[in-house]
Amino acid sequence: MKKILLVGKPNCGKSLLFNQLTGLRQKVANYPGVTVEIKSGAMGEYEVIDFPGTYSLSTMSIDEQVAVEQLTLRVNDDETELVVCVLDATRLERSLVFALQAQLLASKANKPIVYVLNFIDEVKRFGHNIDIDGLANELGAPVYALSARSLDGIAEFKNALLNAEYKNFNPLVPKIPLETTKEVVDFSRALAKTYAINKDVVLKNQNKVDNFLLNSLFGSFAFLAIMFVLFQSIFTWAAPLMDGVETIIAGMAVFITQFTGQGVVTDFLNDAIFGGVGSFLVFVPQIMVLTFIIGLLEDSGYLARAALICHKPLSYFGLSGRSFIPYLSGHACAIPAIMAARTIESPRKRLITMMTIPLMSCSARLPVYALLVSVFIPSDVYWLGIFNLQGVTFFGLYMFGIVTALIISALLSRSSITDHEKSEMPFIIELPSYRLPHWKPLYHRVINSGVQFIKRAAPIIFMVAVGIWVLGYFPMNASLEESWLGSIGHFVEPIFAPLGLDWRYGIAILMSFLAREVFVGALGTLYGMEGADENIAGLAQNIMNDGLPLGTGIGLLLFYVVALQCVATVATLKAETGNSKLSWGLYAAYGVLAYILAFLANALI
Amino acid sequence: MTLWELHKGGTANISHLCEHLDDSVSTRLVEMGFETDQYIKCLRRSIFSGPLVIQIGDCVYSLEQALAEQIFISTSNNN
Ligand SMILES: Nc1nc2c(ncn2[C@@H]2O[C@H](COP(=O)(O)OP(=O)(O)OP(=O)(O)O)[C@@H](O)[C@H]2O)c(=O)[nH]1
Ligand SMILES: [Mg+2]
Repeated sequence: MKKILLVGKPNCGKSLLFNQLTGLRQKVANYPGVTVEIKSGAMGEYEVIDFPGTYSLSTMSIDEQVAVEQLTLRVNDDETELVVCVLDATRLERSLVFALQAQLLASKANKPIVYVLNFIDEVKRFGHNIDIDGLANELGAPVYALSARSLDGIAEFKNALLNAEYKNFNPLVPKIPLETTKEVVDFSRALAKTYAINKDVVLKNQNKVDNFLLNSLFGSFAFLAIMFVLFQSIFTWAAPLMDGVETIIAGMAVFITQFTGQGVVTDFLNDAIFGGVGSFLVFVPQIMVLTFIIGLLEDSGYLARAALICHKPLSYFGLSGRSFIPYLSGHACAIPAIMAARTIESPRKRLITMMTIPLMSCSARLPVYALLVSVFIPSDVYWLGIFNLQGVTFFGLYMFGIVTALIISALLSRSSITDHEKSEMPFIIELPSYRLPHWKPLYHRVINSGVQFIKRAAPIIFMVAVGIWVLGYFPMNASLEESWLGSIGHFVEPIFAPLGLDWRYGIAILMSFLAREVFVGALGTLYGMEGADENIAGLAQNIMNDGLPLGTGIGLLLFYVVALQCVATVATLKAETGNSKLSWGLYAAYGVLAYILAFLANALI
Repeated sequence: MTLWELHKGGTANISHLCEHLDDSVSTRLVEMGFETDQYIKCLRRSIFSGPLVIQIGDCVYSLEQALAEQIFISTSNNN
């Protein structure tokens, strides 16, 4: 297939343009360094390739080297038809430095290059007009002004690509690509002087907002408040939605089982399907609320500021301000977060960040937290009269994960596991303009997070629920204790007895090493089978009636905060660190630490 | 003097980068806009010697002390 390469400086809108051209949904967000892997998609007979953004083609870190080597390779590839270099029209000078370097690279490989002048909607909003033809002549290549967000000029650009119209462009004077960094930097500056929008106009709003959000006093307060609202809202905003889902599932159970009469089929539906699989569906709204808030933050431009605010505190723990963004996205899922750590300049800090990301409470833990919190914390108590105590407890669990991660980071950075490299890129990050979120992609992302959550966990939970149900139902008419499952359970019970947990929890915990959400599904099935006539949706009520002591419950919660029960995360760690021993070692170490914490909580509280 | 000594609201021109700086780091800095004579403005400073925020050309960057101390500036001929 003929290939088109999309390149440019970080945060200039390559991925959004890629999405508009290919109809795909690559991650787009308002901070530099979102895309860390090369992605491709089809547009007509072409394959469009989206690259990670870099400020230049000279490289700093090993990972950048990989990205630039890839780019050089692709540019020289015979199948490559065209290089599209995206420029941020509101940051023309910086965009041009990369653009001129890309021009040299393309001309050496005998490949044509065209420029996209993105963010034209913002330029218009500021009432500025860029002389496109003039710029095209200076650059010696066609320039297409467009907005990947408002879609102005997208259709024309797509046509130009599909019909190879860009080949008709003839510059007044043929352009000789610039060779040295000095030439490139000077020419960019000169071009920006003539063509760019006045920078003070662009930066005025941004600086005004920063006066508040980066203010030493107010800024720290705002940061803490945003984090608190983030974690509290997962609980409070999702509650009504969760009740809704719960009611629907209970209704469906009653409706469907009226046709199946009494017997094995009904028992199976009630216990395994509605009790097991259903009890985990209840948590989908929480996952979606979390994705929504993280999405809002990512698109606002605040995250780069948060990285700056956190840099100093994090550096005491051997981390960088850049660790903040992977940590935050680790609260949705550890896998993309570990990949996002590639943007951390220092290899050491990157390794420490990757090793501690699994301690961030990812969305798979939400069902477990929500279930246990609703068992142990009364729902109608308010802390200081405003904050729901359940919400505060949630916040506490997230904080416990973060604090543990910081302590472990500090220990790691003082140990020799992470070798001390000599040349490290110090912390520097561009602060992008603040923008209102782009609603449509955000909406898709939220829906998608729910769908993915179900797709990923439902089959495992279904199989576990069915497996548990079969083992627990037979031999027929025996009690659960005497079933096949009961026998297995009693075999593993001694392992969990020190944590104050009986065999049912033991089975559920063991199963959750497949995927954390399985805990809720497995427990739902077990309780469903015990009390055949009780309300199947009320798993929390069932556990409450069972009288699990508070200390045991807290121990169980801490266990789930710390344990790394996710094989996919280990696989990602292995791929990103290239160290299999380290990855499985972490899996074991976090498991042991989780066990010790649960033991202590059960013994001491 | 170095960029780290620039107070909030202060402006200057880049004079040169410390020669002990790693080659790759200094090239990168030049490409990010930190080149001789470039006009630079300190937008804010953080408490406890946290990173400072500067505007250079059309970009706003935040950078930490260890780096700012390697960038030399002159405040003489600016407006
Ligand atoms: N107003 C406006 N916003 C845009 C436009 N293009 C992109 N954006 C926004 O700019 C931000 C960055 O877009 P991305 O597509 O993630 O940028 P990128 O070049 O892929 O960034 P990296 O992957 O980090 O290199 C997002 O918040 C987009 O919504 C545009 O034409 N107009
Ligand atoms: Mg991108």
